Amino acid sequence: MELISSVISLTFLAQVLRLMTPYYLGASGANFSERGGVINIAIEGFMNLAAFSFVLFSILTGNVTAGFICAVLINLLFSLFFSYFTVKLKINQIVTGVGFNLLIAGLTKFLLVYIFNSSSNTERFEGIPDLEIFKGIPFAGTVLSDYMTIFCFALIFISGFVLFRTKYGLRLRSAGENPYAAESLGVNVRLYKLSGILISGFLSSLAGIWLASNQNSYSDGMIAGRGYIALAAMIIGKWKPVNIFFACLIFSAFEALEITLQISGTDFPTQLIQMLPYLITVLVLVGFIGKTKPPAADGVPY
Amino acid sequence: MNTKFRINLISISLSLISTLLIVFVFLLILNKNPFEIFSVIFTEVFASGYGIGQTLFKATPLIICGCGLAVCFHASLFNIGAEGQLNAGSFVIALVALKAGSLPFPILFILCIVCGFVVSGITGIIPAYIKIKKGVSEVITTIMLNFIILALVNYFLVDFFAVKATMHTEKIADSNMLMKFSDIFPFFEGSSLNMSFVIALLLAFASYIFIYKTKFGYKLRAAGFNETASRYIGININKVILLSFFTGAGITSLAGINYIFGYKGFYEMGFSSNVGFTAIAVALLARNNPLGIIFSSLLFAVLDYGGLSVNQLVPKEIMLVVQGIIILSILAVDRIVKSYFEKRGIA
Repeated sequence: MELISSVISLTFLAQVLRLMTPYYLGASGANFSERGGVINIAIEGFMNLAAFSFVLFSILTGNVTAGFICAVLINLLFSLFFSYFTVKLKINQIVTGVGFNLLIAGLTKFLLVYIFNSSSNTERFEGIPDLEIFKGIPFAGTVLSDYMTIFCFALIFISGFVLFRTKYGLRLRSAGENPYAAESLGVNVRLYKLSGILISGFLSSLAGIWLASNQNSYSDGMIAGRGYIALAAMIIGKWKPVNIFFACLIFSAFEALEITLQISGTDFPTQLIQMLPYLITVLVLVGFIGKTKPPAADGVPY
Repeated sequence: MNTKFRINLISISLSLISTLLIVFVFLLILNKNPFEIFSVIFTEVFASGYGIGQTLFKATPLIICGCGLAVCFHASLFNIGAEGQLNAGSFVIALVALKAGSLPFPILFILCIVCGFVVSGITGIIPAYIKIKKGVSEVITTIMLNFIILALVNYFLVDFFAVKATMHTEKIADSNMLMKFSDIFPFFEGSSLNMSFVIALLLAFASYIFIYKTKFGYKLRAAGFNETASRYIGININKVILLSFFTGAGITSLAGINYIFGYKGFYEMGFSSNVGFTAIAVALLARNNPLGIIFSSLLFAVLDYGGLSVNQLVPKEIMLVVQGIIILSILAVDRIVKSYFEKRGIA
């Protein structure tokens, strides 16, 4: 009973909206890449890399802004690297993505031990400070205290606008739907694909930074499949910014439920509670109606 | 066929060389002496029967798991759920070995293998089904299933089957353990190398025949090579996806035999130490050829065991970095080499 009342509350809703942030950033990023025809499984690795480099450089320089900039730049560098494989060399995008994820997972594990002398986590640090303007307003104050959550709300409109209302968006989508037709009309398909991947690298770096900043440290395996869940949200959202947002809310709602359950100290086994987000992802993928319809040339090297 | 084989050999060697160079530079950046590190690995692995035995012991699960993945990869199914699949099967193998321990050994052993195979196979059917019905990439579902299966196994283990205050099941009877190599050859004194290695080799040969010499293997490769054309000549693609996922995932369960029947005698949480992921690199390096997988497993086993021996000089996690670099350099070098030969009209 207590549990139900704690779920139906404004605090819970605020929690859901806050936890939506990394999912939506990752899913929107992946969407830009896939609209340009490149499946980006490496979102998971990019989030991981950004989280690690954000913590590393924040601690090294003692300055969160410097950490932020370094993390974004490193992610852009790896995105460039990723596009060299997928766009320039036209290697299978999924295999490349998994390769990147494994490399980045290894790299962060190694550097964690090498630099911080720990196989599990870094020391604590002060994350990005809260936004103070809306402080004191109930509900809105909690949700809007986070820069990136606010950015997410804006991103729903920005990405919708960019994809469907600008020349850039039209050309990006044409590269993902029919690259040959696009090229024959003078669109530089490869350049557009590259731009989609760079945007996905940028947005996923924000997701990683958010996670590390909220946890005030980096720990091994902290991304815990959120990048893949973001991809699932993108699929369920049918590659449309608004739908993706609602799909992300489903997943963040279950993550919030998971946290609430763990705090409430029910007899329910912890392992099964921790399993919840992943189980829900699979169930939603099985349950939602109709076969998915990605951009026509999604995943096809050009 | 012969030129293709030669080109493959060239690109594999070049990717290994480029990996070596990258790792060299990486170590230099970290201000370590790469020559010292490589020589420590080399002497530790090859100087004693123990080192060789341990390396072969570590290669065993990689060969098994690599073969399972090769089946999926040949059908263009990018199964990255081997870690979960093999844990599900191995857990069941350990339980069956425990509960049916009174059966004569050969029957018990076969029963365990069949049960493990079926359970792992079923965990492979799930992503296959979702792929067929909803068109969702198997990469996402297999990764999600890794988390789900490991959580479930953890739950059943801790709440029902584990020895108190440990993370493992009870030990099976000593009489049901596989023979160790050191019992016959004193050369391997002290190492855990056991008959599972022979089983792994046999499995690699069987997988080779299955993939390249049987009718289903042909369909599987055809479907992976060109789905549209295969559909056109009457291959039931959905059936191929289901069966190859079932077989591939099923094979991975046998990786547990090495640990359960050959080494500790029980299932332990985390026993697989990411074999399911390393096997991806193993299979890719061998171009998904099961006979090649034997060799690439040996290479990774050297890295794994060697990594432990250089832990004093550089954290052993360096080997995870090496794995990642190997995968990416295989992909890039292979494409560059192939287009080089294509331009010259050789391949």
